[in-house]
Amino acid sequence: MDSSELAPLVERCRAGDAAAWEAFVRQVQGRMFALAYSYAGDREDARDLAQEIFVRLYEARSQWPRGDEFLPWLFRVARNRSVDYLRRRSVRRPPSTVDETEIAELADPGPGAEAQAIESNRRSLLHAALRSLSAINREIVVLRDVHGLTIQQVASILGVPLGTVKSRASRARVELAERVLALSRGRGEA
Amino acid sequence: MTGITCDQIRAATLDPGTRPGDWARRPDAAAHIRQCTACRAWLDAFAAGEQAWRSERGHDFAAAVIARTAGVEAVVRDLPLLADMDPGAGFAERVLSATSRRPAPEGWRARVSGAWRALVRRPRFTWEAAYVATVCWVLLFGNPVGAIEWSASNIGAVARERLGPPVKELRADLDTWRGRLAPAPVSAHGATSGTQAEPAPFVVRGWQAATSSLRHLTSAVVDALALAWERVAAWFDRFAGQSSGPSTEPPADAVRSPQ
Repeated sequence: MDSSELAPLVERCRAGDAAAWEAFVRQVQGRMFALAYSYAGDREDARDLAQEIFVRLYEARSQWPRGDEFLPWLFRVARNRSVDYLRRRSVRRPPSTVDETEIAELADPGPGAEAQAIESNRRSLLHAALRSLSAINREIVVLRDVHGLTIQQVASILGVPLGTVKSRASRARVELAERVLALSRGRGEA
Repeated sequence: MTGITCDQIRAATLDPGTRPGDWARRPDAAAHIRQCTACRAWLDAFAAGEQAWRSERGHDFAAAVIARTAGVEAVVRDLPLLADMDPGAGFAERVLSATSRRPAPEGWRARVSGAWRALVRRPRFTWEAAYVATVCWVLLFGNPVGAIEWSASNIGAVARERLGPPVKELRADLDTWRGRLAPAPVSAHGATSGTQAEPAPFVVRGWQAATSSLRHLTSAVVDALALAWERVAAWFDRFAGQSSGPSTEPPADAVRSPQ
């Protein structure tokens, strides 16, 4: 998903085209759900959160930025909504731990059962490792390495200096790899 | 030193496009790392936090760092797997029901109720409500402390009106009882005036002593209560006079001091 792919849909959504909105939802739902999941850590909460993000996007559709500015703006809205959601949830109940069996169910249908199982296992490990990072490192990895935003965009979305993102991005990757290694050893896969 | 430079070692370690194993297996690179303290320190810093790896040296150490770098690269390469996930069947329908397919609210009541709910949900609502309440207060009472001023100037009169008659009745009753319980005047020789020439019996003397004590006690309590009440009323009068400015008029029902 990049800005040029979304540009025609964005224009039509801005004009209030209901069919374009539906197409937009179907096109980005996987990305928004994945982002929501990285914050919520729970499938049902991630659905609620992703829906909230879409409702916010729908309400503001006449103000959507055009061109290359759209994607960073989309992630900024999603991130702000997620942070608000987590704040509200922390008042209601403590954050849930990651359910790895649930993560395994998240795998997209692959060509073969074995390949699917392997990929599912890798996803599960990565999710578990991501959840064990600090909040800021996790956000940097998710935005930079999972969703492919640039360092500048990540710094802008998180509201932190560019240098901070640069230095933290390297450390966060190493930390993530260590966690993956430790988790896989814990499962007897190393 | 060998043919490879420190900069090349570092660039090769950091370059994600290079397969680290390829260059690290080169004898010149391994030899360089083995001999170069600065490169070992740099690689050490690169692998910050791993005490076990720090204890290794030379080619083994480099291999460990390379393995680590390769591990990081592999993990980073896999991360885009998490970028897209299936939210489950019906998610898009659910979103559309909450957005473009949501029925418009019917009638002005629903619209007003929706607008009110949206208004109340905003974090700033508390501040705005406090501001509006302050404006209403000023409009109603003229100034922010108008109600307090009114209370100060009127509470004395209100209290006198409500509590004055019961206190007067209490005092009248006590005076009556005081009169009834008062013993007959005693003469200078110790005998009561009138027909009672002989000393009173023990029971009568006891009764007289008890009533006398009670009389003094009740009288003191009533006097203390009345004095306290008059002081409070006078204080309120004085306070009201100060709040509303100097007045030449005496209070309509000023409390008299007991004389």
